[in-house]
Amino acid sequence: MSLQLLFDALSLGGIYAIAALGIALIFGVMKLVNFAHGQFIACAVFALILPSTDAVAALGLGLLPTPLLILAILGFGAGLAMAAEALVFRPLRNASPVALMVGSFALGVALQNLLLVLYGGRPKAISLWAGLGAPVQIGPAEVPLLQLIVIAAVIAILLALGLMLKRSRLGLEMRAAAEDFGMAQLLGVRANHVISGAFALSGALAAVVALVMVAQTGVADVRMGGQIMLIAFIATVVGGMGSLPGAVAAGLAIGAASALLQAGLPDAARPFRDAFLYALVIFVLLFRPQGLFAAAGAKPRV
Amino acid sequence: MAKLGIHDLAVRYGKLTAISDLSFTVAEGERLFISGPNGAGKSSLLGAISGAVRAAHGRIEMDGDILSGLGPERIARRGLSMVPEGRRIFGGLTVRENLMVGTGIRRDRAAVADDLETAFTAFPILRDRANAPAGALSGGQQQMLAIARALMTNPKVMLVDEPSLGLAPKVVDEVYDRLCSLQALRGLTLVIVEQSSTRAARVGGRMILMRGGRIVADGDAAGFAAADLLSEAYFGDPA
Ligand SMILES: Nc1ncnc2c1ncn2[C@@H]1O[C@H](COP(=O)(O)OP(=O)(O)O)[C@@H](O)[C@H]1O
Ligand SMILES: [Mg+2]
Repeated sequence: MSLQLLFDALSLGGIYAIAALGIALIFGVMKLVNFAHGQFIACAVFALILPSTDAVAALGLGLLPTPLLILAILGFGAGLAMAAEALVFRPLRNASPVALMVGSFALGVALQNLLLVLYGGRPKAISLWAGLGAPVQIGPAEVPLLQLIVIAAVIAILLALGLMLKRSRLGLEMRAAAEDFGMAQLLGVRANHVISGAFALSGALAAVVALVMVAQTGVADVRMGGQIMLIAFIATVVGGMGSLPGAVAAGLAIGAASALLQAGLPDAARPFRDAFLYALVIFVLLFRPQGLFAAAGAKPRV
Repeated sequence: MAKLGIHDLAVRYGKLTAISDLSFTVAEGERLFISGPNGAGKSSLLGAISGAVRAAHGRIEMDGDILSGLGPERIARRGLSMVPEGRRIFGGLTVRENLMVGTGIRRDRAAVADDLETAFTAFPILRDRANAPAGALSGGQQQMLAIARALMTNPKVMLVDEPSLGLAPKVVDEVYDRLCSLQALRGLTLVIVEQSSTRAARVGGRMILMRGGRIVADGDAAGFAAADLLSEAYFGDPA
């Protein structure tokens, strides 16, 4: 396998892993598949630009210096997800899993329509971080700088998240609640605190995906959340609902498979890459319907 | 004033009435056993007290403050801790992490460290396995972990649901031995669901017998054990 292909696979798979983690974190603590996650990503993209229906986007938050911009968008994603939790999912907390899932669909549709009203339906060009396309020579391969940054960022995020889950009070409470929420509450763990924390993390992860997608494509499109949401959802199912290592592994695997198919399929078959990808996923699920890493005590209720 | 007061409690699951017209009090430092056949409503009673199960009717008080309706998170903060039926250990967390989950409600960090030391001294096996996943412990060890975990919230009242379930008699001896010395050490008020009246008599304490969601008898555990022995002698069937 060429080095180029390896970097393609890692950067694509890394983003899928981050998106899948955003879904798995929430599923872990409240057994909710949050189908609005894709729209969280789209909203974080549009938060970079000012509301208007013009074809060329005027930067808003996107004008901030890079470190501030990243913080602002992560904060926006976390805040949006926490607000969604408080306004939509908290009132539904004791409703059936199906009601929760429908609620998340409804929220997703509402957010998408809000974006359509504010920004119009046409995709917009965003010029952000133009220098990142520059190639870097690594041995025999030429790799875009952006890919290296994405891979490094994904590794840093995974380490930070792992450390947070393992070492912090919120992390401990989230892991306990994911195993047995009622028991955690009997030990004084606050449901609102844990769930709100999980949404904040999930929203921040959605914002990371948004930044990477904008940097890669240079486009803001109301529909851009849908495709990645589908892949992230598949990754959480393949990884075993609620299993965080599973979501990461499956995200990476789907990214790698996708990059390999892209490179390996004959030209005529390339448009059907995703069909091959989904066939592969179905194949995996035939043999392990519970996913690759079914989390202990996290039987999907949906 | 009673440490714990249950007044006119009723618990329903849909149409099924699990508990009705239930009233009793528990004195500070008392050890109260709750006995009765399966389905008598013992776990529902502990659930209602701890806030895990919503009461349909009635009032539950601790030190004169009303607990009913507060929910488990706040009841735990008031100093009431639960060791539930089936232990409900966090199997994927380490032993030490299990012990720490309930300390989030405490502000006395030094005392938390002392209590961890107390738990490790009372249950040395937990110290030895502190960094092992709790799911790898044996049933008896998990029961000890569940008790130690409840103690880490620094409770004044502790509810323990069937600690002897599925354990070998020797292990049950050990569990009760530790439970009693920790009760003395901490001045705890203990409510324990225990099916065996002979076991309760041997440990010592008051006993309430439940049947069909009501209290049918209340007295010293030794008396129940003697009555059970008698009925066994006459009818050859430990009721
Ligand atoms: N979550 C529940 N949903 C419906 N019925 C329940 C539930 N928990 C207990 N019950 C019913 O309530 C009654 C009392 O059960 P329980 O309190 O568990 O009794 P015990 O602990 O004495 O065996 C039983 O008839 C049981 O089937
Ligand atoms: Mg029971």
